[in-house]
Amino acid sequence: MTTAATSDAALLAELRGLFREALGVDPVQPIAPETRFFANLGLASIDAVVLGEAIRGHFGRPVPFDRLMAELGSRQERDLSIAELIAFLKLHL
Amino acid sequence: MPRIAANGLTFHVQRSGAGPDVVLIHGLTGDLSIWFLCRAMQVLAEGSRVTAYDLRGHGYSDAPASGYTSLDHARDLVALLDVLEIDRARLVGHSFGAVIAVHAAVIAPERVEALILSDPYFPALRHLEDLSRWEHWKNFRQEAEEAGVSLSPDTWYDLTTFFDQVLHLDDDRLLRFRQAVGLPGWRRVIRLAETTCGHDSKLIAGLSTELISSISQRCLALYGEASPFLSTADFLIETLPDCRGRRIPGAKHRAPEENPEGFVEAVREFLESIHSEKTREVCP
Repeated sequence: MTTAATSDAALLAELRGLFREALGVDPVQPIAPETRFFANLGLASIDAVVLGEAIRGHFGRPVPFDRLMAELGSRQERDLSIAELIAFLKLHL
Repeated sequence: MPRIAANGLTFHVQRSGAGPDVVLIHGLTGDLSIWFLCRAMQVLAEGSRVTAYDLRGHGYSDAPASGYTSLDHARDLVALLDVLEIDRARLVGHSFGAVIAVHAAVIAPERVEALILSDPYFPALRHLEDLSRWEHWKNFRQEAEEAGVSLSPDTWYDLTTFFDQVLHLDDDRLLRFRQAVGLPGWRRVIRLAETTCGHDSKLIAGLSTELISSISQRCLALYGEASPFLSTADFLIETLPDCRGRRIPGAKHRAPEENPEGFVEAVREFLESIHSEKTREVCP
């Protein structure tokens, strides 16, 4: 049986691959749940659009990334942690 | 990622929905993500086929070293319409994106059905705004100041100079600055700073006052209620043959970010007014 922890770890590994392939991001210090999209990786909302598309392509199913983007747009501090991204994916995959 | 070859470059394009064509054009230093963040991409897709793209030099599109006047961008846009087989589109441009939309309507009037101009400032209409207290630059400086970055008060909003001033910031101050003013990822800022974009975007490039005034398509001059460019808004409403005005409450120059709901609602209502008039034409 897959535990929440292992599925988190599996998703993190898949996300690392997607960051590398779709966004060209492969930091020396590997991406971790606490890594922040904007502050730590130097990415911007346009990278989130492209990542959303890569995620849809990779998992072969529609993921309402648009909603996450709109929610991100309404945040005071526009940033997103990898842990939040994993939680979002677990909810929708 | 949809990549479209047009006008000798590769463009990053996103599409959504079905119906009459609407093309969304972002402003300088921005990218198409603005349309996702303000939900225009989602809301407008309910009644239109929406196409958004990254301008040359921006987002995930190519960044040639030169060719950044509104005319260069307008040629890109018309080439994209050709490749995407869009005969005629409603153009929604924000800031310089609206200048590009107007320039496209000048060079290819038959391809443009209507225009929504969100807070543009036209190089040819510079005389309308009081440069000695250019509010846009003051707003921008104020936001930068709040992020701990002091920009020179005697430098007019000028991308070339601006890039020079922020290039030497340390990482912490740079991050705070980027978060405050909403700049795209740093790699892209550097990439754009290395082009002629800052210089070219100040050029009239053939988009004269007379040509702007001749735009006969239905137009909406959509400005923030505290926009720095309200004299330009008044000019458009008074001069263009079919231009109405609307102000977005609580917004300055960046309505899609400052009041996203108000912005998208205004765009949606204007697009629907075109739909309903066309229906009346067909079924009197």
